[in-house]
Order: sequence, then structure tokens, then C-alpha cells
Amino acid sequence: MASSQHVLLSPAELAYLHASLNLTPPIRPDGRSPTQFRPLVAETGILPGTNGSARICFADGTEAIVGVKAEVERTRTRHDFPSLDEGTEDDDDLDDNQNDVIKGDNDWVEMTVEIPGYRDDDAGTVFLSVMLSEALLADGEFTKRLWINQRFHWKLYLDILLISPPLSYPLPLLSLTTHLALLAARLPRLKSEGDEDPLFDDDWAAAPYLYPRPSEKGSKATAPAPAARPPVTLLVMAVGNNIIFDPSKEELAVADVALAVSVGESSSTTTSTTSSKPTAMDIDTEETKGHNLRLLSVRTIDPPSRLTPPGIPNASNSAYGANAGVKDTEKKKQQQEQARTAESEAVEGVWKAPRGGAKTLVMATMVQKVLEKGGVADEVLDALDGVDLN
Amino acid sequence: MPLDTSAYSLALLRVDGRRWNELRRIHAQIRTQAAADGSSYLEMGHTKVMCVVNGPSEPGPRRGATSGGGGGGGQSKNAEVAVNIVIAGFSSVDRKRRGRGDKHILELQSTISQALAASLHTHLFPHSTINISLHVLSQDGSLLAALINAATLACVDAGIPMTDYVAACTAGSTSTYAANDEGADPLLDMNHQEEQELPGLTVATLGDSDRVAVLVCESRVQVSRLEGMLAVGVDGCKQVREILDRVVREKGIKMIQEGTVERGVGLNDMELD
Repeated sequence: MASSQHVLLSPAELAYLHASLNLTPPIRPDGRSPTQFRPLVAETGILPGTNGSARICFADGTEAIVGVKAEVERTRTRHDFPSLDEGTEDDDDLDDNQNDVIKGDNDWVEMTVEIPGYRDDDAGTVFLSVMLSEALLADGEFTKRLWINQRFHWKLYLDILLISPPLSYPLPLLSLTTHLALLAARLPRLKSEGDEDPLFDDDWAAAPYLYPRPSEKGSKATAPAPAARPPVTLLVMAVGNNIIFDPSKEELAVADVALAVSVGESSSTTTSTTSSKPTAMDIDTEETKGHNLRLLSVRTIDPPSRLTPPGIPNASNSAYGANAGVKDTEKKKQQQEQARTAESEAVEGVWKAPRGGAKTLVMATMVQKVLEKGGVADEVLDALDGVDLN
Repeated sequence: MPLDTSAYSLALLRVDGRRWNELRRIHAQIRTQAAADGSSYLEMGHTKVMCVVNGPSEPGPRRGATSGGGGGGGQSKNAEVAVNIVIAGFSSVDRKRRGRGDKHILELQSTISQALAASLHTHLFPHSTINISLHVLSQDGSLLAALINAATLACVDAGIPMTDYVAACTAGSTSTYAANDEGADPLLDMNHQEEQELPGLTVATLGDSDRVAVLVCESRVQVSRLEGMLAVGVDGCKQVREILDRVVREKGIKMIQEGTVERGVGLNDMELD
């Protein structure tokens, strides 16, 4: 399933939509501001048979369910582990990232995307799952959470189901649902120590979260530090110089550029600026309040606008205007000429599919708008904080 | 997993504490999804399925493995009922992934497709397709029955004319061996554990009648017991039909009260409390 869902809009409608989105400020068909998201319904913990699950319904009616399932698996080869000092081993906690013994492997996570009506080896489906897992595995921190001991690890299966027919490009929906499912995911508490065969506490209430909560006592040394969060992939599009978030299907149909930007949040509150000024300290404390965002990956998405049919300017329309009464041979010649100009230059108010790549400046602004403090990613993560995790 | 079926004869209680003729809890919702023409969510015990119906609509380009039945292709006089089942990897206790070409899924698809094609008035929609996609979120026995019930509810929600509800449930027999023939009780609505151990069948009937629309038996069973199992199954289908009907009526009343739909002619005497 490509991003190119068929949108039944005429060239004139496309031109109108493009023009209104190109205004400053842009006027969106549903009256939202450029950075405003549509409302959504989210719930977690819907499936008791999984380690973590979530369901999200978007306002346009698309719905997704994600289930996380974990299995204990024997770690195959350990030839890359150096001989370590066994005496100081206190890695009973899964999230002990400081210990460099803990190593992860990308094979420990398996992600499948199911979209009704599409085969699971369809190029679009594969692309979606690769994009989602790429964001998750990008920083290499995630798989470390699955480490049990040197001989065993958790194998995590993420099954992503799109329940509704794919009305719009489902990437943001699937990403947000996966995010929530991972936040809600819990693994049984480990009772055994060291490299023994793992033995787990059968009390589910004692099971720690895969992503520990900041409020949880003892899980983090620095309590106020925001806990790490799974990545979120946002769909951003640009029309002219306007940057628009959470595009609807119709808006995506006139996009000049569409980007999938994956943003993660790191737990470490290390600020690169080690300035001695007291003002810098203030900034730092402010920063701990917000989210510590990191850009994980950016991918361009082929916008469906490239496949839309172009409009015909009046000048080259034989049924209209100057050409209407012209003789056949003349007409043909003129038409050919005008067809060529129509190919090359845009006529005001006539739809033409965007061609060529994105402007670097626009791309940079898109990424920056996602990442800035109080920007869109911040807002989205704050909003997802509000979802009750049970 | 070995199941101690011998315990049944002591107290006449099954592993989950039910009597032989008791259904598990059935909970259903319709119109769960705004984007689809019809949708439903159904729980039978711990078996949870979701259904989304789209159509009748113009048949699109054929992609994926959909199993068509009841009239072939878009050129026929009858609408095609295309059923697509997705069994989520996390649905069973141990994660098991089934491919698209899984024979078991294909069989389920064609069974449901044929059962519904017989009940839906497909002749009203020539050259069109009714797309039914079913998602299995959690499995605990009676999967086919749950899928049929969910598909029926979603078709009701989609407003596709149909003869009557196709209500399904399973029935089994308490003992697996022939010697214990006289002591065998029929069982209604089997869970996963019972399905593993005991012979069972899935039966679906058309509405209130005794007309059987689907009968699937995948295990070996003595012929003498079949009649008892079938009778219990058909009886269970009637109970299921009552439950499905109640769900539809409750949703209908709610929609009228909320003003989503106009109160129709002849509804004035209906009690809206």
C-alpha cells in the first residue's frame, strides 16, 4: 500500500486546495491551524493476553491495535563478550543502561504490520514496518531493555493491526499506537540472579514496565529526569513554504513534500552546553521540564500528489477561448507549442503535479519545527502522557 | 495440555465451572468504527474478534488473498462476499504466526463467505463486492462461531438486507472414547481447553428456525453422539441469536434517542426507556 491512496479530486479542486494551503497563514479544509492535530481516542491494556496493548482511533475513523508479546529466548553466540569481572555484577535491573555488559541485538525485536486487503509482503506494508522498527532500533538503546542475562534475552514481537480500511497514510496512526503499546508493556520481574536460567515472579502486579515510569521509586537514580520514551513518527508535509502537520488525506494529495520524522526521547539529561554562566543553569532546569528530544530518522515519503492528473490551462484548451475558432492545422501546431509550455511552466490557478525534490530550507524547517522546545513533538508526547496506562 | 476430563462426571461441572448447557459470557458491540460501513466487536468468553464491513461497493483491483464465495467475481448477478481474516500474532497464548496462505484460515474464510452469501440478499447488488475483514484479537475456542456472529452483526450494522441472523456456537461431547457412550453428556460452547481434548462441532443456524447454515466438525466423533451434540448446538444458536438481537436493538434505541437516526414509521409503539 503506497502513500498514494486514490483521492477523488479534480484538478480544479486540487489547485484550489493547494492555493489555500499556500497562503500565509495556510487555510486548511477543516479549519485547523498548521500544527494542530485532529482529536483521537486512545486506550491501553485492552488485551490481557499480551504484555502490552493499545488501541487508537483517529478522527477520520481509522483505527489500529497493537499487541506486544515477549518470549524468553536463548542468546545464541557470545563470542563478542569480553571476560568481565563477575564480582561486581549487579545487573538485576533490566534498564541498567550504564552497565556496558548489556548488549542488544536488533533480531530481538520482530515487527509485523497487517493491513486488511494487502498482503504482508506488499512493498508498502514492508516499508511501513521497516520505518517503524527503524525508529525503534535507531539508537540501539531499546534492545538493551530486552537483555535478561548473558545467556537469555526477551524476544519481543510487535504485531500491528490496522482495523479500518487504510483511508489515509496510516504511518502516524501506527506509530502512535505502537508508542502507547510499548509504554504499557510490562515484563515479568526477574527472580533469578546472574546467569542462571531465568526465573520470573508470577505476580503480574510486580512486573516492571519496559519503559519505567518517572514516578516509580527506585527505578531511576535521578527522580525528576524524564524517563525514556519509545519513538514517535510524525507525518509532516509542506506546501510551498508552509509546513503542515497531521495532514488529512485531501491535504496529502496536494503536498509538495511529505516527510516521516521519527523522534525519540532520551532518558539522560546530559546537556551538551557545559557553560559556566548562571543563566545557562536556568535554561538547563527549564529543559528538564520539557522533553529531551532526539531526532532518530527522517524519511521522505512519495506524496500521492505526484500521481494526480494535471489541469489544462485555458490557453491550450482547444474547446475554449482563443483556440476555439482556429483552423485545424494551425490549431495543432499551436497546441503542440502550448502543450510544451504547459509542461514546463506553471499557470496560475491550474493544477500541476509537483515535480523535483524538496528545497533544503523547507526540509530543515520541517525537522526543526518538530524538534523545537514546545514544538509539535513536545505537544504530542505531552498529550500521550495523558493516556491512562493500566 | 492434558485436561482431566474425568473430573466432569464427579460434579457435572466443566473446567471453567459451567454446566453442560451454559454459554460463556457473550458481549457484543456494533458500530465500533466510524470509517467503515459496518463494524462490530464480539467477545465469547475470552475469544475476542472485530469485524469491519465495507460495501456493497464496486469491486476494486483484486489484491491480497481474499476468498470469494457465493457468486464469483464482479461480473456476476450477485454480490460477491469477500472475507479476509487476520489472526493477530498475539491472539493465542504462545505467539504463533500464520501466513496468508494458511489452509486453516482459508477454510474459515470460505465457510463464512458461503454462509453469509446464502443469508444476505446478494442478488440486490449485482457487479459488486461486500468486503468483510475479521480481526482475531484473542483466541479461546469457538473461533469460527465468534467470527460468524461478529460478521452477522457487522452486516446488520452495514444495513445489507439479509434473511435473518446467522447465529453460531459450538457443541461437544464429554468423553472421547466409545466405551463411555452412555455416560457422555453433550457440551455447549467449548473453550480452547475443551476443544483440544474433546470432539466438537460448530453449528450456525438461520435466525429462530432450525435451519442449519453451517456445520463444521473437525474431530472424530461417534455417530450416536452426533445427534445430541447437534441438538444442543442448535439450541445454543437460538440463545446466541437472542443475544445478538438484543445488542442490535439496544444500539438502535440508543441511536434514536441520540437523534443519530430518524425515528422510523411503526417505531412509535416501541418502548424507548
